[in-house]
Amino acid sequence: MTGELASTASTAEVRAQRSLSATMFTNAWKTTEFRIGFFIFFGLIVLSIAGPSLLGVSPTKFSVAQKFMPPVGFGGDWSHILGTDQMGRDLFARSLIGLRNALIIGVTSVVGMFVVGSAIGMIAGYVGGWIELLLMRITDAQMAIPVIILAITILGLSRPTPVTIICVLILAGWPAYARTARSVMLSERRKEYVRAAKILGASNIRILLVHIAPNILPPIAFVAVLDVARMMIIEAILGFIGIGIQPPTPTFGTIIADGTKYLMNAWWITTVPGLLLTISLCGINLMGGALERARNKLLQGVS
Amino acid sequence: MTTRRQILAGAGAAMAFGALGMPLVANAQSKKTVVLASMGPLTGNFDPTSHTTLGQGNFEKIVFSHLTRAPMEEGKTDILEPDLATSWQIIDEHTIEFKLREGVKFHDGKVFGAEDVKATFEYASDPSRPAASYYPGRVDVEVVDPLTVRIKTGKYGYPASTFWFVSSFLPILSADDVAKPDLLQQRPNGTNAFKYVKTEGDRSYLEANEEYFGGRPKIDEIVYAYVPDANTRVLGLMNGEYHIAERLEPEQYESLLSNNTVAVRKGLSTENKYLHFRCNKAPFDDPRIRLAAAHAIDRDQILELMGDAAVASSCFVSPMKFGYTEIENYPRYDPEASARLLEEAGFPGGAGLPQLEYITSIGFYPKTKEYGELIAAMMMEVGFDVQLTVLEPAAWEQAIYRGGDGQGAGHMCDVGWMTGSPEPDLVLRPNWHSGAALINGVSDPEIDASLDKERGTLDPAERLKVLASETFPLMAAKVPSFSLFSAVNFHGAAKNLKGVYYFPSGPIDLSKADFA
Amino acid sequence: MIFALDFFLRRMAQGLVIIVLVAMLIFTLLRVVPGDPVRTMLGPMASAEVAEQTAQKMGLRDPIPVQFAKYVGQVVTGDFGRSFVRSAQGASTGGSRGGATFDASNRAPVMGLILTAVPYSLLLAGLALGISLLISLPIGIAAGLKSGKWPDRLALYLSSIFVSLPNIWLALVLIFLVSVKGGLLPAIGYQNWTYAILPAFVLAIELSPVFIRSASVAVSSNMLEPYVAAGQIRGLSRARMILVHVLRNAMIPLLNVLGIQAIGLLLGSLFVIEYAFNYPGVGLLMINAVFQRDFPVIQAIAILACTLLVLVNILVDFAATNIDRRLQY
Repeated sequence: MTGELASTASTAEVRAQRSLSATMFTNAWKTTEFRIGFFIFFGLIVLSIAGPSLLGVSPTKFSVAQKFMPPVGFGGDWSHILGTDQMGRDLFARSLIGLRNALIIGVTSVVGMFVVGSAIGMIAGYVGGWIELLLMRITDAQMAIPVIILAITILGLSRPTPVTIICVLILAGWPAYARTARSVMLSERRKEYVRAAKILGASNIRILLVHIAPNILPPIAFVAVLDVARMMIIEAILGFIGIGIQPPTPTFGTIIADGTKYLMNAWWITTVPGLLLTISLCGINLMGGALERARNKLLQGVS
Repeated sequence: MTTRRQILAGAGAAMAFGALGMPLVANAQSKKTVVLASMGPLTGNFDPTSHTTLGQGNFEKIVFSHLTRAPMEEGKTDILEPDLATSWQIIDEHTIEFKLREGVKFHDGKVFGAEDVKATFEYASDPSRPAASYYPGRVDVEVVDPLTVRIKTGKYGYPASTFWFVSSFLPILSADDVAKPDLLQQRPNGTNAFKYVKTEGDRSYLEANEEYFGGRPKIDEIVYAYVPDANTRVLGLMNGEYHIAERLEPEQYESLLSNNTVAVRKGLSTENKYLHFRCNKAPFDDPRIRLAAAHAIDRDQILELMGDAAVASSCFVSPMKFGYTEIENYPRYDPEASARLLEEAGFPGGAGLPQLEYITSIGFYPKTKEYGELIAAMMMEVGFDVQLTVLEPAAWEQAIYRGGDGQGAGHMCDVGWMTGSPEPDLVLRPNWHSGAALINGVSDPEIDASLDKERGTLDPAERLKVLASETFPLMAAKVPSFSLFSAVNFHGAAKNLKGVYYFPSGPIDLSKADFA
Repeated sequence: MIFALDFFLRRMAQGLVIIVLVAMLIFTLLRVVPGDPVRTMLGPMASAEVAEQTAQKMGLRDPIPVQFAKYVGQVVTGDFGRSFVRSAQGASTGGSRGGATFDASNRAPVMGLILTAVPYSLLLAGLALGISLLISLPIGIAAGLKSGKWPDRLALYLSSIFVSLPNIWLALVLIFLVSVKGGLLPAIGYQNWTYAILPAFVLAIELSPVFIRSASVAVSSNMLEPYVAAGQIRGLSRARMILVHVLRNAMIPLLNVLGIQAIGLLLGSLFVIEYAFNYPGVGLLMINAVFQRDFPVIQAIAILACTLLVLVNILVDFAATNIDRRLQY
């Protein structure tokens, strides 16, 4: 019974793959860096969701009479723990909303890149021929434009909204994922279980989604995690230049940019969002780094 | 075969090439250079009649002279001093006479005379020139002798006295240049203390005019640098890259007060800041909607935000201008009135209004983005849907003026108006007379008639009355634009730079300046 | 040498395809975004008819592929056109202008604008690379030699912090602390080369994690190679072994990283940092061009930046194959 044999072979291989990615995460989890990173990251997510309402102050409500209040410990009081900005808005609440926006944009765009990139990469690898050639050349072309240049050009010339920002980041970031997906595709489709599944009459889409797609995650999971951090920096840069999410919505970049004028009399306006962003990035990068080393060890062990 | 060493050598060569391309550090010891960090870009066209922009205007004042000079010191704003004219008098209702200075030369060598004044006045007041609305109207100039001219307005039916103060504002061009518009556009050719040399990127270079009639300036060179960010201007001033920085933020002024190397000054300007409504476009073509917006704005909050950079004024011109008065019926903060007006106009609670784009700048005036956010938030409270667009100065200057088709971008814009003379018509006519209405596009026969009446009133006391009791109340009732406050200007300069005169209208006079 | 020629031709052809694709992408993008470039050129005072005439005359109403073909024809001769908004002397322009027609001769050639800015950017980039290597090589090599020990941990934590510092924020903090408060280094604009130090340092911090990582990985994996042990048995000192052989072999991956990752990263960040420091390089030119909707400048810089990246990649690959002939393409 070829069919049964093939299907057991395939499930076994899939299981092996799944456990590979599970091992990777388990190994990473065992490291201190990953745990520190994870707790920072998790803590910040909770804070950015619950924080603004817990603080009991509005991030956008201005009260000009209370402008430039310093943080607690520098002459401020507990009504605005980390001080206020040039319009008397609570800096902590604003930074937390900024964090929330940065996380949303960072995570959504990376998920988008992963989906779009994987789809294109898998199609290229699966179909082959001139389509593959064309798609891979487009990948090359895309990789030859630095993300920032592409983002500045598009967003600077159109009206930036959260949706366009995410789209631009996806547009700039998908090629790396497409390449990985394609190479996974190329190595996987020669494998026994794929051929077996084909013989059994499984549809192309089913093979792609059920059998091959899960294999893309392990080699690129760490890239994705690091990319979240990268996208958050880019979001801040866009806001700083003035082509990110537009006011009155607070973002890290706009708060920092607004604060540059007041560096001399109110250093906290740039410092609070800057520090918060740095801490979040540290958390994410620690996780990404730990995942990368776990993956490398695993691959060395396998080969 | 290329070796690693060769590659590295190649990289080194590339860097050496890079270093060679650098301009050499200026030998600052031998040459006294003042670098002026300005917030306004130049227009790229040196014809003074081609624009109404502040940066270009300030630049022109360094190169061109005027018939008279208006220092406009606080408290005595109506004093005129001789410049290219040595004396002037009103001959009759339609004639004003200027006696001109002898022995003055333009930078290109041409001798200055009556024909230059004639060419300049007739050219600048030609209604087809983009900046014509600055001037009260067309004029004919009669050359009495090579050093005497008579400005005549009889043919055009308004008093010549309107040119009394404008004489300090209109840059005098060479008649030869007026005859060749191409040349006029390419380089400025004036009679003032500094000559234009060249423009490189955003820096324009000027050198001392050896033959300046007021004596050769002690400064050898001015570098007029366009620096579109207040923070950059101040940091550059502090580390010595710039010697004068325009338009500081009030907080920067505060923190520079105690600085050892930088001196700061502040002074009320001739500038009011306006929220212009695009009156020829829905929904602001309906005065009720404009009034509703004006009533939604709490100007006390804006003043609080501006700190020292603004003083309260409820008038369409600055307190430095002739005719300034607190207008009785000027729209006050009154959200209920705003709601009522919106309902009357058919948009209860703002329902049914389109999203309104509010265009403002960043880095040009102090705190425009901040109070832009404030105004947007206040208008949103009564039901307007406002989207703020914050533009870099050069892009903003492109966006604010109405286009050839009469339409402008967005629905509201933040613009200031600052002119170097006490004459209120320099503000009123370009902005609210339908013949110009450069920004808001208002076209209201009643306002036009009232502006013409005010211009045509000969007796100053009578004119004051017309302005206070007719023109201003009419404008306040129709608010084609909402004047937010009068601006206070802050300048910072190197402490050892002495003798600089800062006009309340923006220009900076360096002809007597020197490093101590 | 046939190998080299073949390699070059093949990679150049591939590179050219990439550049054309990028050019097409940017060119199309700039023509579908809202806003009429004619308005930018003429200023707001020109009448609608004049604007339309000028647009027709300049071919701005032709179909995009036709415009692109014309543009490519120009670019091939080295002419990137003229700026829409910068005057012939290079100044930004703004406000109402009187001229009723767009006079191209009164606008700055794009190539000239770029060439004036390039040396500044080269200085900044060179300085950044230098500082970055100075910081990261000792750390990276030490980490590689003592893999798993404290230098390795130190390198790891340092890189994690460096990579987590947002460049714009770091720039502001340094401007404030080092320049404004400390008065140690100048920061804003450009007068002499010292103005490049602080921005270069910010870029260096951003680049360092890449170098630290690749140096440490390269060195540590080379240390495991049999030739190291063999050399030591043959009586070569460990120090000599490391200096002469390990480091030389470790250069290859480092060079790769330098080309592919570092130049890409540098090119992107250069733009932002130049903006933050008001440093008059290509990046500031580009960002201002975006604000002013100066399309010819934007597309020229984007195309040149991508060409640079492609060229660097080819050169790096070529150099790598020559340092180590075992790598064949």
